[in-house]
Amino acid sequence: MNDQVTISPTTLSVHLTLNGRDHSLDIEPRVTLLDALRDRLHLTGTKKGCDQGQCGACTVHVDGERVLACLTLAAQVEGRSITTIEGLADEDGTLNVVQAAFLEQDAFQCGYCTPGQIMSAVACIREGHAGSDEEIREYMAGNLCRCGAYPHIVAAVRQAAQELRS
Amino acid sequence: MRDFAYLRADSVEAARNAAALPGAMLLAGGTTLVDLAKCGVAEPATVIDISHIEGLSAINVTSDRAVIGALAKMSHVADNAEVKSLFPAVSEALWQAASAQLRNMATIGGNLMQRTRCPYFRDPQNFPACNKRAPGSGCSAIGGVTRGHAVLGTSEACIATYPGDLAVALVAFDAEVDLGERKLRVEDFFLAPGATAEQEHDIRPGEVITAIEIPGSAAARRSTYIKVRDRQSYEFAAASAAIGLELEGDGRTIRDIRVALGGVATKPWRARAVEDALKGKALDENTVRKASELAMEGAVDHGANHYKIALGPRVVARAILKLGETA
Amino acid sequence: MTVHDMKHAASDSARLEAVGGRLSRVDGPAKITGAAHYAVEQQLEGLTHAVLVGATIAAGKVTAIDTRAAETAPGVLAVLTPDTITELKGASDWFGNPPGVQTYCPLVREVTFSGQHVAAVVAETFEQAVAAAALVKVWYDETPAIVDLSDGKAGDGIPIDAMTKEWGDAQAAFAEAPARICTAYNTPREFQAAMEPHGLIARWQGDELTIWEPSQWLDGMARTYAEWFSVPFENVRLVSPYIGGGFGSKALALAHSAVAAAAAKMLDRPVKLVLNRPQNFTSYGGRAATRQTVAIGADREGRIQSIVHRGVNETAVDGMWVEPLGSVTSIMYATPNFSSKQNVVRVNTVVPGAKRAPGENPSAFGIESAIDELAYELGLDPLEMRLINYAEQDPHAKKPWSTRQLREAFAAGADAFGWAKRSPQPRSMRDGHQLIGWGVAAGTYPVRRAHGEAVVKILADGSVEVESSSIDMGQGTYTILAQTAAETLGVPVEQVSVKLGDSHFARAGVTGGSRLAGVMTGAVYKAAGQALDELIGLALSDPRSPFQKLQANTLQVRDGRIASPRGEGPELSIAELMSALGRDHIEAKGDTLPANTTPEERYKNYTTIAMSIPHTEGDWSRHSWCAHFVEVRVDEDFGTVRVSRVVSALDSGRLYNPKLAESQWKGGIIMGIGQALLEEGIVDRRHGRIVNGNFADYMLPTNADIPDIQTISVGIPDPHSSALGGKGVGELAIVGIAPAIANAVFHATGKRVRDLPITLEKLI
Repeated sequence: MNDQVTISPTTLSVHLTLNGRDHSLDIEPRVTLLDALRDRLHLTGTKKGCDQGQCGACTVHVDGERVLACLTLAAQVEGRSITTIEGLADEDGTLNVVQAAFLEQDAFQCGYCTPGQIMSAVACIREGHAGSDEEIREYMAGNLCRCGAYPHIVAAVRQAAQELRS
Repeated sequence: MRDFAYLRADSVEAARNAAALPGAMLLAGGTTLVDLAKCGVAEPATVIDISHIEGLSAINVTSDRAVIGALAKMSHVADNAEVKSLFPAVSEALWQAASAQLRNMATIGGNLMQRTRCPYFRDPQNFPACNKRAPGSGCSAIGGVTRGHAVLGTSEACIATYPGDLAVALVAFDAEVDLGERKLRVEDFFLAPGATAEQEHDIRPGEVITAIEIPGSAAARRSTYIKVRDRQSYEFAAASAAIGLELEGDGRTIRDIRVALGGVATKPWRARAVEDALKGKALDENTVRKASELAMEGAVDHGANHYKIALGPRVVARAILKLGETA
Repeated sequence: MTVHDMKHAASDSARLEAVGGRLSRVDGPAKITGAAHYAVEQQLEGLTHAVLVGATIAAGKVTAIDTRAAETAPGVLAVLTPDTITELKGASDWFGNPPGVQTYCPLVREVTFSGQHVAAVVAETFEQAVAAAALVKVWYDETPAIVDLSDGKAGDGIPIDAMTKEWGDAQAAFAEAPARICTAYNTPREFQAAMEPHGLIARWQGDELTIWEPSQWLDGMARTYAEWFSVPFENVRLVSPYIGGGFGSKALALAHSAVAAAAAKMLDRPVKLVLNRPQNFTSYGGRAATRQTVAIGADREGRIQSIVHRGVNETAVDGMWVEPLGSVTSIMYATPNFSSKQNVVRVNTVVPGAKRAPGENPSAFGIESAIDELAYELGLDPLEMRLINYAEQDPHAKKPWSTRQLREAFAAGADAFGWAKRSPQPRSMRDGHQLIGWGVAAGTYPVRRAHGEAVVKILADGSVEVESSSIDMGQGTYTILAQTAAETLGVPVEQVSVKLGDSHFARAGVTGGSRLAGVMTGAVYKAAGQALDELIGLALSDPRSPFQKLQANTLQVRDGRIASPRGEGPELSIAELMSALGRDHIEAKGDTLPANTTPEERYKNYTTIAMSIPHTEGDWSRHSWCAHFVEVRVDEDFGTVRVSRVVSALDSGRLYNPKLAESQWKGGIIMGIGQALLEEGIVDRRHGRIVNGNFADYMLPTNADIPDIQTISVGIPDPHSSALGGKGVGELAIVGIAPAIANAVFHATGKRVRDLPITLEKLI
């Protein structure tokens, strides 16, 4: 093997920025970012709904883009910046506008898909995909909600997008 | 998931060397490999993470051609302004694929390596027989639940549907995949199962996809991708069509047309019979609908997937007629 | 436990706080910041991880299990098989009937359905347990399975006499009716598919068991664990602070629960076991597949003369589930002659269970499709057809409705939808390639009642705590109980904290059948009233009280301040009064049970469903009602159906919090859209196995599948249904959605689809 390849032992050390703070983790290569967050870092706001990339409950931001933590190996995020639901509000507890809109519009019931919905919504607005209700629906389609909060999620994303524009 | 060694490659050269190791698998976006490792389908001894290689995610588009780096994210290509204007079918195929999150993870190169969604393929514990996973073990899908299975390009060994969208657009526009030492037409890169269902791609140990290239054309500029599925979003195609259209100066005679189908075949399916039947003809609904039926030449159903034989041509016709309206 | 402060809710105006106000969810801030810790998210010292191994056959015997490779895999602590797992005692069923078996083994030697738990691996980490579970080898002696209702071996099944409802001479009247239809309707196996998977953490400390598990019924599940492990009921504590959706699936302790608790006992370490998503499709029952035939005879004016209904649902080889298919059929329309009978058929499946509106949901698909077919047969408007046959009283119980705002629902819904503009002929409305159809259907759900208990504490600082072992899985229990206590006590809602989801709190029965809100608001109302009485009593009589000299008959609390109703004398905050009284708290436990209830009856009331009060008890028949108006767009080439508009008018009586009730209604409607168009457990008939047990292949609606939905409340307070006048909310709205969509699809296309879901191949 040439020197451009980093070989892992059975555990490897991963360094990442998590919600603005530096962390390092010693983990097996097979550990997903989702399990690292929930079981190792005790940040359980990121939810495990399917563990197969089919529901969106584990949505987090990696370098500002929404991705699924269940299909991301923790080893892959070496040097990256991760934001989870726990890091969305300000340090003083002031809610992100999307969080506030979700509360106001009652855009959740059981709350289990909600962190993923909110992380997805923040990115959806940032990407410029919240221009119409139809666009919001399509670009939020990767986050399943079994309680059926969809119309209220659309209303919350619309409201937050408008507030951010003004 | 069984344990594996993890290597992070910082260059294409390093990735090529590592990819030649026995049991090595490349990891880019992770949306296929991590998923299949969880299913027990992929059991890599070594995972080679190529997602940190720099310089492989550029998107360069001119009217002549688009060159898209293998590590470009699906979402970035879908939203690229030049891709949207010069290769609309490519953008449309991409944004209709998967979810926004998955498109932010999955790469263009990795997307070409996406595996079938055949439920029997994905469940080795309950269905040991699968010629794709274990050559010679048989096909659990034949005689089983076949609603999503292919009607074109099937064999006695395998009827699994190719699930992707992007590659359907790529084969329509004669795109090539760059493997470093060699370049292949995307259409040839994908292999129908025949007697060797386990071989899905013409790729050799140690080869790494570095880019795809799509030649520009009038048909690519006037193109679209229509995807039909049970739910409105976040689902694989029941049938899809990538169509490119170029009309003569009279605005109604077809000079060039490209037709490819997804969701109905074992590989991204170019339908040249439809193209040949329409070239030089005036674009009208009856002609288009009749010619579109030729897309299903040689189709064989396995019961529950019979509807695809009717649906496929309708999707093709809809897409052609839609392009005709947007003169 | 889970206490919700009201910082964010406090900005809402005072009117929002009262019962009936649109207060935002008090548990909302925790849920939107990731601070809400669900049951299996508890962090425990020494936690181990268990993963199950499921049977790969649907019927037969386990002949051998090779655990050697798994046992020697890294991190593995134990591999449990039927031979090695600790023996449990049989537990009574949810009616409290004693178990049919002495012992219970949650890992099986005799396999009766595919995916049934055969073995389990416990390891130090989740990854190790998953990897080792894949190394367990199982050999079987497979026998032929009965795959589903259409299996040749299934037979006609077992008649369920308790389901028979008959009056008049239905067969004769049907034969003589001038207009007749007789049609068959099928619904497939469906799944609750809550986003939070089933799972638990079990921890033993001596002979005390703590279970963190998402639960719709803490007391009932605690009873099961206590019986399994032969420990006193009080020794089992169930903790379930938040539940990530249940929809009927999370009310019982199940086989995987027993495995985790047994493993924790054997290892003397806490064990976490969470079903993976595919296991969530095989480890507990969804809605049973059903078949119905509905024959309706009417006169030429559309007046129903007879309804003959026959139903069948699947159940398990080793368990009984009856999905009451005649429940809506027998009450929705007036008819002089009626007959409904039902069989159940045993197939090799996990025993089916409750999914949102069990019984009413498929029942409505039958009768509300059939009445539509008859309307077309007679050339009548489907809405008019329903009004012609409006039931002025319960046709089965022969009792007056407590309240039935269904006529009002039809009127309000039709008006908001614009039904009058409907073109009656099928295939007569289109927009380009899209055929447009409008459909209507009604729904209903009985008012299920039970007794509840709550503790209300007034603390020294004037704040109020409400405690109950009932739960909030998204219906809004935290919020409406805070509103109830605030209004009853006269304190601002931000001073109230509600603690739920711990079986050591005041007891509660099952959260199911849309009963919780009515039961628990009643219990909190009573407990809060008692606490208030005690506070006022002390204020008037205690020598230390500034009010003692006032010689008043009573005092009043408003906005957290206590004074005489006429304003004479002092006015104190509750905190000031508590300080004057020298009290650190006042506590009242209130329940809605009769005063002479014995402890045994109380235990039975909370841990079984045997003491549920029939909805036709006494002089009234009590139900919620609704009318759905739906627009669909069907692509004429592709056969794809999209719902483009829904207007539903609903009678749930008085709403305790309309904001949250509307959310639940819309949730029911959306689940109904999934049922109508997408959801079906597909079985490989050779293997008796669900092949689409995941969220890519068992499709739930996405955001993109759901249009704007308008809900209209037409309810009025129903004093016969609950203490505060509410009727059921959570289950009502799904009832009738699937037939409304099927009726709209017929109107769009001229094709009548009687087998759900309505997928594209049925229309092209």
